[in-house]
Amino acid sequence: MRSFFQAVVSGLVTGSLYALMTVGMTLIYGTLRTLNMALGAMVLVGGYVSWMLFSGLGWGPLAGLVGAAAVTFAFGVVIQQVAVRPLIGKTGVDFEMTAFISTFAVAIVFANVALEIYGARNKAVPPVVEGRLHLIEGVSVSWHQVVMAGVAIVMLVALGIFLSKTRYGLGISAVAQQLDAARLMGIPVQRVYNLTMGVSSALAGIAGVLLASVFFVSPNAGDLPLLKALIVAIFGGLGSVRGTIVAAYIIGLLEAMISLYFGVKWSLPVLFVVIMIVLLIRPTGLFGKPEEARL
Amino acid sequence: MASVAHETRASVGRLMGWRSPNAFAVGALLIAAAALPLIWRNDYVIDVALTALIWMVLNQSWNLQLGIGGIWNFGQLAIFAIGGYVAGLVSLRWGIDPWLALVMGGSAAALVSAVIAIPVLRLRGIYASLLTFSFAEVVRLLVISDESGLTGGSFGLSGIPGLAFEGLAPDAKQRAYYWIALGLVVVTAVFIYVFIHSPLGTALKALRDSPAYAASRGVSPMKMQVITFATSAFIAGVAGAFYAQYYGTISPSVMGLGPLSLFVAMLVVGGLGTFWGPMLGTALIMVVSEALRDLEEARLIVVGLILLLTIVLAPRGLVPLLQQGWARLQQWMAEDDAPEDGPGEDVPENKPTPQQEGSR
Repeated sequence: MRSFFQAVVSGLVTGSLYALMTVGMTLIYGTLRTLNMALGAMVLVGGYVSWMLFSGLGWGPLAGLVGAAAVTFAFGVVIQQVAVRPLIGKTGVDFEMTAFISTFAVAIVFANVALEIYGARNKAVPPVVEGRLHLIEGVSVSWHQVVMAGVAIVMLVALGIFLSKTRYGLGISAVAQQLDAARLMGIPVQRVYNLTMGVSSALAGIAGVLLASVFFVSPNAGDLPLLKALIVAIFGGLGSVRGTIVAAYIIGLLEAMISLYFGVKWSLPVLFVVIMIVLLIRPTGLFGKPEEARL
Repeated sequence: MASVAHETRASVGRLMGWRSPNAFAVGALLIAAAALPLIWRNDYVIDVALTALIWMVLNQSWNLQLGIGGIWNFGQLAIFAIGGYVAGLVSLRWGIDPWLALVMGGSAAALVSAVIAIPVLRLRGIYASLLTFSFAEVVRLLVISDESGLTGGSFGLSGIPGLAFEGLAPDAKQRAYYWIALGLVVVTAVFIYVFIHSPLGTALKALRDSPAYAASRGVSPMKMQVITFATSAFIAGVAGAFYAQYYGTISPSVMGLGPLSLFVAMLVVGGLGTFWGPMLGTALIMVVSEALRDLEEARLIVVGLILLLTIVLAPRGLVPLLQQGWARLQQWMAEDDAPEDGPGEDVPENKPTPQQEGSR
């Protein structure tokens, strides 16, 4: 029973992180109709920024959070301008396909530039706070994990408020719901696109900082988070922010349970089988909406 | 009049990337390719050319789904690896004849792919790419974390028996492999050419361009998708098996993001959905990647940038671009030769092609 609770706790923590990554993916898909493969690269950048701040200036991971968010926001805007914007409105090709490939190309460039600059060696980043929190007897969680989940949840709540209460957030929702109507209402669509890419990339960058001290930072540190985010995205459906968050927690818990009862090795294959079954029953994921209704 | 109609058709066909190949040009290319190992007697060069030929087979099979079928399959490398692993395992464990193992590798790949085809069928574009991409990653991670000794984990299988050329000297053996690889490329190309011009190919393209219309005209999406996945995977599996037999090893390093980026670059640079695209793209990227050998891993940066530039500037790839340029050149020369004909008839039939062409 103890190990069960332990699995639940760690499932919730990983679920929060998955939510942080995949929400960005959903936002971008909702507004820009782009499956952004460069989000994995943003996790990578976040990790390296926090490592550089730590090893260069001796600043702790909290400074890393802010720094990484700023850097990845800027990168997100640049990626939107360089890799996605030129593709919008090209005739004779499928935008979703070309945007998928161009962001994939960006991801390759980032990973290999990181390899070139920092080498293949793993870089260690210390946790935000040391020590463990004992919940009940035999069930404990490191303070760093608490911070991880806390930061992720705060970011998600902030995102929710941003999307539903602020001018710019409403602009994002409007563009996602009806592009033409949004344009007619005078919403600057290009700026919304930039903002969406920036915010989503910053979320992935923050996830990267949080993950940096759990795993190490290395040139392919973004691959596994990207894969998990893709799995959550298929499972939840790229339709809604809320659906994505629920799906992230389900996947997080499921993964923890599978690791507990079958071993870590089986977590991905079993998840994959679960997803195959979900897709056979609901082709657009658990919460995905069939067509145009998004976010 | 008949000749005009023929001309029109030929020029449209040319712009669609499916012009019937010029027999002399193709013949000369083939002879040059076949003579390469005899003229340029350099082990390393032949080795690179041979690898390029294997990639050409793989990319052609991939193009059948991605370009011609418009099915977003990003898991083809896993299929390639499955072909290699199965061929390696059956000949290592059961001592099966390598030639038979080649076919068995292809068949196993086809079987796996046909099973994947069923859930993929239910998914719209982007979700299909998510599923196939994560399928490939799962296969790769499973192989890497395999501790049972079946697949050899991250080191892979080694000592896979090659095709039976035991009596030959090493360089003659390499040449034999080279010609078989060339044969595989030719057979695959001919097969794909025939497939595309058969009713099956028409049905596939119809499904890509308008699934609802194709289905209403009696094309079964289910059947077509399973057929496409299985045929494409068989070719990829044979390529994988041949790869394993030539190198004597296969390891999870043939999968993953690095190789995937290389192959996607080859397909996109050449031109998705065109007949020559996969072959031209493979050759180009191989040349670039060999020219940048000294950069080692950093050459993937260059490949990534090339991919990005191509998709942004010429999303349909080089082959359609070259064909358009060629057509324009010919038109310009024709205008020069016979100004009294006037360009009136040529210009409009060339203009609408960017819209006509439905390649994704």
